[in-house]
Amino acid sequence: MNTLRTWARDLALGVRFAFGGGREGWTRTTLTGTGVGLGVALLLLTTALPGALAARNERGDARSTLTAPTADGPRTDSLLVANGDTTYRGLDIGGSLVLAEGPQAPVPPGLERIPGVGELAVSPALDALMRSADGKLLRERLDGRITQVIADAGLVGPGELVFYLGSDKLAKTDPADHRVQRVTGFANTMQAPKLDPVQMLLIVLTFVALLTPVAVFIAAAVRFGGERRDRRLAALRLVGADGPMVRRIAAGEALAGSLLGLVLGAGFFVVGRRLVGTLTVEQRSVFPADLDPTLWLAALVAVAVPAAAVAVTLFALRGVVIEPLGVVRTAKPRKRRVWWRLLLPLGGLALLVPLMGRGNGSGYFNEWQVTGGVVLLLVGVTALLPLLLERFVGRLSGGPVSWQLAVRHLQVGSGAAARLVNGIAVAVAGAIALQMLFSGVEGTYTKDTGEDPARASVSILMHSGTESRANALAQEISGTRGISKTVPLTTFDAAHQIPAADRRIPVTAGTCEALHEVAVLDSCADGDAFVLTGSPSRDTGAYGTTAKPGDRLYAGNVLGYDDGTPDAEKAVTWTLPAAARTVASREDPAGQLRTGLLVTPAAAPKGVQAAQSAQIFVQLDDSVPDALDQVRTAAFKADPFATAMTLKSTRQAGPYSTIRVGLFFGAVGVLVLIGASLLVSQLEQLRERRKLLSSLVAFGTKRSTLSLSVLWQTALPVGLGLGLAAVVGIGLGAVLVRMAGRPVQVDWASVAGMTGAGAGVVVLVTLLSLPPLLRLMRPDGLRTE
Amino acid sequence: MTPAGSLLAATDLRKAYGPTAALDGAEFSIHPGEVVAVMGPSGSGKSTLLHCLAGIVTPDSGSITYAGHELSAMSDGRRSALRRSEFGFVFQFGQLVPELTCVENVALPLRLAGVKRKEAESAALHWMERLQVEDVGAKRPGEVSGGQGQRVAVARALVTRPRVIFADEPTGALDSLNGELVMQLLTEAARSANAAVVLVTHETRVAAYSDREIVVRDGKSRDMERIV
Repeated sequence: MNTLRTWARDLALGVRFAFGGGREGWTRTTLTGTGVGLGVALLLLTTALPGALAARNERGDARSTLTAPTADGPRTDSLLVANGDTTYRGLDIGGSLVLAEGPQAPVPPGLERIPGVGELAVSPALDALMRSADGKLLRERLDGRITQVIADAGLVGPGELVFYLGSDKLAKTDPADHRVQRVTGFANTMQAPKLDPVQMLLIVLTFVALLTPVAVFIAAAVRFGGERRDRRLAALRLVGADGPMVRRIAAGEALAGSLLGLVLGAGFFVVGRRLVGTLTVEQRSVFPADLDPTLWLAALVAVAVPAAAVAVTLFALRGVVIEPLGVVRTAKPRKRRVWWRLLLPLGGLALLVPLMGRGNGSGYFNEWQVTGGVVLLLVGVTALLPLLLERFVGRLSGGPVSWQLAVRHLQVGSGAAARLVNGIAVAVAGAIALQMLFSGVEGTYTKDTGEDPARASVSILMHSGTESRANALAQEISGTRGISKTVPLTTFDAAHQIPAADRRIPVTAGTCEALHEVAVLDSCADGDAFVLTGSPSRDTGAYGTTAKPGDRLYAGNVLGYDDGTPDAEKAVTWTLPAAARTVASREDPAGQLRTGLLVTPAAAPKGVQAAQSAQIFVQLDDSVPDALDQVRTAAFKADPFATAMTLKSTRQAGPYSTIRVGLFFGAVGVLVLIGASLLVSQLEQLRERRKLLSSLVAFGTKRSTLSLSVLWQTALPVGLGLGLAAVVGIGLGAVLVRMAGRPVQVDWASVAGMTGAGAGVVVLVTLLSLPPLLRLMRPDGLRTE
Repeated sequence: MTPAGSLLAATDLRKAYGPTAALDGAEFSIHPGEVVAVMGPSGSGKSTLLHCLAGIVTPDSGSITYAGHELSAMSDGRRSALRRSEFGFVFQFGQLVPELTCVENVALPLRLAGVKRKEAESAALHWMERLQVEDVGAKRPGEVSGGQGQRVAVARALVTRPRVIFADEPTGALDSLNGELVMQLLTEAARSANAAVVLVTHETRVAAYSDREIVVRDGKSRDMERIV
């Protein structure tokens, strides 16, 4: 009890010292509090992420029709829904076409009522876009009357672009038609697909690589102003405080800084949370209300940060003897031990190496084992760097005066310098490892589509279109400015008998010019027909069947669907012209190799209607702005179900790009944080040496010599830290790539990029510290009165 | 009017820090090999006078000539070079670089002037012997006593064989015995090198080592020799 009371008394005294002592005391405590606060804000943000993701998923599921209850026929409580997603100037816009079949039809979340025909309900962000000058063309596409703005309950994020359009074009006559759903509610109870092992590895590593430097940063922040504090403590020794007492008082000061940091961190978090609501990055946005820290994690931060501050201070004071007449750093500091410092990275490797090769789909990683391994390896950097720096500078000598001043400074005490660089080294090591892993798995997540954007920029698919509608749309589009070519092709099924089941023959119809896009034709005239060969991948199954010239076939509704209406289409009989020639298939601009038959309009069967689908390839003139969106608008207006797809030679899978965006912003935040801490520490060190700097200038030392020595003092530990970070990062990256079951390849460009970014931060910090350095070198520093 | 034969002289020096006048028409002169004590109470302006004379601080008005050259007409770089080669400094505290050994500290001004390391350290050892601190050459300032540290600082001030040594309260942080020793060695070494010494002090015991005394009070100087 007595001990507890002594601790409480001394800690309280420390807290009083932290906030007393005039402007300087406040400045020091505020600096520590700001540093710790920035770290705490990042930690709170991390604790809020699970809740934010859950809330987003919950609202996404609540408006989904993926596993929604459905009805077989029209009911008073049924709603027809179809996907109306579109893209505008590179922005993805989620859309739904809706038609209420009865008064009790379910209202989508966030809406007051179901939009009537021609009415639009839009998200606030889409509303703003459509009302802006930028959204003029979009307004032409979505030309319905805006009658509602979707409330937050119907949105995943505030920046989401979503609309509901009331449409009378919806009908569900064929139960197998999945384009239109008849629902009586909204729900998605399907579990999101589990992340594959490699994606899980990427996410774990991103978090560890970003949070470890934050922890290092917090540890550095509670030691701001350490030297001055030690001198103050010496004065306390003079008036009778004993050694343990001054340590407890020092811990109390750190505690005060960290408590202030908690308050400031909570404030930064609240302010940051509001700002987050106004940000949309890569079309991803978060509602501030979703960023609600998980209670037990936030409580853990509130307890762990002050406890860590006290522990770090007591740990740092081990090698310091505070005497009544001043501070004596133990003349011969304890030699840094190698074994436990090596144990950390070796332990990390021991955890990770057994997982090598597991990421090739044969199994999942143990998340704790991966996290533990990565943390040990990265923390190993912070343990090894002071040792390496000490040994390295211990061997240096000679050189010009600026070099000598810097080297001697580091030889006497390299711990502070190493602490400064540790944060950057860990961030860079983690980032290099991540980049290597990204590069290693890039092939897996970047798919070669086989599409040829040189032949067509856009492919418009009209699933329920007829030949005449497709041709009309092609005509309309080709009249649009910026369109250099349109190639309309229609497709229907043919068969030797009905119902055809899986013995169907695909038939592609189009003009000779259009057919040239899908087959190698020597000559072609209207009335010609062709039998395709040369598609080895499709020589079996439903589309492996073909016909011979002169065969008598059925065309159109060969599956024999009957929707019960009197005008249900019947298959028509048709004879493949006897003059049909056999030609080789050619990949179309979308990379499809077609099979079956090709027919020109005069050779095509008459009376085939609903069973047709159409595809229009559109070539754009890239120099004309908005040509692509003109095409999308024309397609959407012709058929809201039409899918206009931009052709690209490669496509990236979604999670990969999301993780990379997360990493980028996280890395920027961490580097800014560490840069700020470097600057504060640098300025503090300079202020401590003010008198010395002034006296050196007094006896003629060039300012450039002193500036250079400051640069060397930073550059040496940073160079070593970045070197170590590169080695550890490449090592960790190699292990991770092997874990993912991919061949190891060092991405030197990213190694150079990351180390360059780290070095850039240091150069920036050095440049920013030069003006105060020059000010501190003024002769005023010699004045004592 | 600059006194004839003086090495360093100042006339009608004025310098104010904000509303406070540190120097208010101060005069000064010193001849080669002469030791002049500048005395006065705390805050009288004696350190400011020293800083002006050494070209560290630029006066608001007045004239300072060194070897016939007007100091205020020189560029900052030229004044720095002058301090490096012609002047030496001893301050009360905070002047030795804590990370360098004592011999490296003494050799520092020579190294700054471009002298090679070995040559500079050899010259430094010579002066450390003269100041009786050769045995602490390998130690760092934090590992030697106050008196030893101050003698190391004196050796550093002399190592470039300056023509003027500026000493600002050189014994202020020392006990009387060590103070006496430092003053004895400083003045002896300076006289043997024919260097002038500008000695700022408020202790009459220290001022006794000088040839002449100037008292500064409220920014104005009075030459005590003329009164005597």
